[in-house]
Amino acid sequence: MPSHGQHGAFTLLADDLREVQVRIAALPSSSRLTSKWTVAGALAALTIAFVLILALFTPQADAARLAQLLVNGVITGSILALAAVGATLIFGIQRIANFAHGDFLTIGAYAAFFVNVVLGQNLLVAALGATGAVALFGVAAHFGLFRPLRGRGTVAIALVSVGLGLLIRNVIFIMAGSQIRQFNVNQSEVITVGVLRLSPGQAVAVAVALVVAPLVALFLARTRLGKQMRAVADNRDLASVSGIDVERIGVSVWILAGGLAGLAGVMLGLSQGVFDPNMGLGPLFLIFTAVVLGGIGSAYGALVAGLALGLAMELSTWDALFGGLDSKYKPVLAFVVLILLLLYRPQGLFGQVRVL
Amino acid sequence: MMAEPILSIAGVSKRFGGVVAVNEASFDVAPGSITGLIGPNGAGKTTMFNLISGFLRPERGVIHFDGWRCDGRPPHALASVGLVRTFQIPRVLTRMTVLENMMLAGMDQPGEQLGAALYQPRHLARREREIRDQARELLEVIRLSRLANDYAGTLSGGQRKLLEFGRILMTEPRMILLDEPMAGVAPALALQLLDHIIALRAIRGTTILVIEHDMEAVMAISDRIIVMDEGSVIAEGLPEEIQRNERVIEAYLGTHAQAPVPAATAEP
Amino acid sequence: MEIFNLPFWIFVAVIAGIYTIFALGLYLQYALAGLPNFGHVAFAALAAYTMAILIIHLNVPMPVAAIAGLLVAVLFSLVLGIPSLRLRADYLAIATVAGGEIVRYLALNMQGLTGGPIGSIGMLGPSQLAQYNQSWDALLRPIVAALERNPVLAPAASRDFAMLLIVWVTALILLVVFWLMVRSPWGRMMRAIREDEDAAAAVGKNVFRAKLQVLILGALLGGLAGLFLAWQIGIITPDDYQPTFTFYAYLILILGGTTRIWAIPVGALLFGLLYSGTRFLNFYPLSLFDSGDRAYLRLILVGLLLILLMAIRPQGLLGNRRELLLR
Repeated sequence: MPSHGQHGAFTLLADDLREVQVRIAALPSSSRLTSKWTVAGALAALTIAFVLILALFTPQADAARLAQLLVNGVITGSILALAAVGATLIFGIQRIANFAHGDFLTIGAYAAFFVNVVLGQNLLVAALGATGAVALFGVAAHFGLFRPLRGRGTVAIALVSVGLGLLIRNVIFIMAGSQIRQFNVNQSEVITVGVLRLSPGQAVAVAVALVVAPLVALFLARTRLGKQMRAVADNRDLASVSGIDVERIGVSVWILAGGLAGLAGVMLGLSQGVFDPNMGLGPLFLIFTAVVLGGIGSAYGALVAGLALGLAMELSTWDALFGGLDSKYKPVLAFVVLILLLLYRPQGLFGQVRVL
Repeated sequence: MMAEPILSIAGVSKRFGGVVAVNEASFDVAPGSITGLIGPNGAGKTTMFNLISGFLRPERGVIHFDGWRCDGRPPHALASVGLVRTFQIPRVLTRMTVLENMMLAGMDQPGEQLGAALYQPRHLARREREIRDQARELLEVIRLSRLANDYAGTLSGGQRKLLEFGRILMTEPRMILLDEPMAGVAPALALQLLDHIIALRAIRGTTILVIEHDMEAVMAISDRIIVMDEGSVIAEGLPEEIQRNERVIEAYLGTHAQAPVPAATAEP
Repeated sequence: MEIFNLPFWIFVAVIAGIYTIFALGLYLQYALAGLPNFGHVAFAALAAYTMAILIIHLNVPMPVAAIAGLLVAVLFSLVLGIPSLRLRADYLAIATVAGGEIVRYLALNMQGLTGGPIGSIGMLGPSQLAQYNQSWDALLRPIVAALERNPVLAPAASRDFAMLLIVWVTALILLVVFWLMVRSPWGRMMRAIREDEDAAAAVGKNVFRAKLQVLILGALLGGLAGLFLAWQIGIITPDDYQPTFTFYAYLILILGGTTRIWAIPVGALLFGLLYSGTRFLNFYPLSLFDSGDRAYLRLILVGLLLILLMAIRPQGLLGNRRELLLR
């Protein structure tokens, strides 16, 4: 008998490739390979059309409104982006669909509240505290819950994360009460920046966004840890074979995801002005939409998608766009995006074609 | 050249992104024949099987099964007209018993209609009995009877291959695509499988197309050999012809895989 | 309230029956066919709201409105389900939870149609108290009267008891029906699809059609549960259809065991017991919590159970480990 061992390893890789290929090709043709260039091209065309409308139809007064919406978009977008980066890396590296991610934001907001209002510290310290607290919580969740249950199957883990979310939310209800909370900011003050009128909370949120988002991008692009994370999220086996300590990355990613979620929670609390323990529920599926849009496992994708989604949601309410979407229905827009994605391009913008 | 072929592949191509897995492949398979499909790894053989059995749709070309155009049809449609396949790594239902695995493959099951259990209980029970009897018979043939009530998850690799084969037999197929039936199987079991394959053709006239890397075996049982390399069909003919074919030998030596030369190089 | 309060427990039993039907719908989709629908609550919401809207806004007779409700639930399952059927499990979970949320969100915001946050009573605007339940109540009255005349059942005779009978008879019939179907070759085909669709397709099973069947059945059962709940409570609000509702059903399936259909009513009753029974646990340290906080405690319990069961006994109390779906 000829030995199969000699081409064993190759056969394995070849089988994997074929396995993946069979799965891609088993998608009905309407969804297959709507090329990312088509999508990018469509988006670019839309943006150009948008700018044209802007140039032609915007009188001075509306420019202010537009600018306001853009700022709102940047805020919402960065909250989503930061939260989505963490969620997508958890998805890609740990293979966990974390249904408690919204509640991680809540922990962040309440931790910051504690430091800011109860302990009387300023917002910066509070934000740092929040980031640290949720990062720690993430690590605890990893060691205490998710790692012991590894290998249980995606749906089982998803249900566990649902349970975790319930725990977080209701413990916060008991410990902190159900009344709405605010940070120690003067809510009636208005900060004017050119044509923009912002609440202090929004101003802080924008500032944080403009600083942190590029930092995260740089971290992912330039630092060794960031690059390793992206490698593991992209292809765990390949990364481990090339010498990356996948276990250590696994812990680091919880620190990063937790920290970013905590920060996003603080920003959410600031931009909303008020919050309660249920604050994480709404953002959850927006975060998931951003994750899917950017491509599961793609950190850059999550950043871009989060920003894009936030901007799209806010700008959709702009009057110049056929009267604008009633702001009540902003999440509906996100939902439509999600459904269209799942129909035509489930791997999102930058994801691997590993959908099935 | 041959009387009406039972399977006819004409100009079939398939690519995945940048990779051309199958490139303008054409060949025919005669009814009642045993045909070997060989080639170095990555040649596109399993992709070809996936194309034939409906798991993939070709970009170009047509496939006919018994005169009926079948490319792009879903796998269950092909299975129901008698074209079935096995998988390289046997896909048995581990959470069902061996007997249930066999019964699953039974043809014409009115019980699979929605609600049949409610309005046709007697008819259903009768058909279930028939299928169960057929399953038990076949388990005897493939010698897995004593494992009938064990969960398929407890079976060894070789036993799973047998089970998959038995499942195929349940469908009373007209043509079978066997994907590396002997890979990773102990020699005794492999011989058993070979016997079953030959018997199947002899008794029922089932056409067989088999991918195999075990050159001795495939040369011994095949009437014809088709050779693929890098997605294209590079040779077809009688086993003796293929073993002497320069292009074929080159294709194999080029990938350091075992060349299909005769017994002289057989390894234990 | 003391623990042996019969009307209270009758109420709990009614809810458990409704949850049995709801969880059965989820069982077919998830435990049987392997489709993780995290938005099952949408079917209940759509059926209930459609019925209420048709009755209140358009004076449609109740039976027609109810059937229309079920049809809308089925339609939604097809619209969302068909494109999602081929997706990987976690994508499907996300898509379905989003689907459920959007239904709730629309119910919350389309004030003119759905009454907004205050629900069905607000459907005709702030000045009127809209009701959809009159015909159903009228239906129940002769049943209650018959119960009152019966010497044995008279002490328990009440509207809730009449509901209990209707709900549980329906639930039991459905359980028998689906038990028969699950044991049949149809059930075997589903179990095969759940584990390995390609293998099932390779032996001639039409996987897409089969999944469509469970999707529709799941929608019908979820919708029916929604209707019963709407009839039981008499008022519907968007808050009744939070995602948690779906996860209660998962908990019920896991509690009883995902491999046996008769474990569902057991799981539902256990769940009802656990959920409602916590209000009777008045000993220390639980007595430290006031009643408002007890509600949160209950949800904490749900969360803990989900986690613990997954960790320690994923096959549930009555399940068969070897046929385990949730490993």
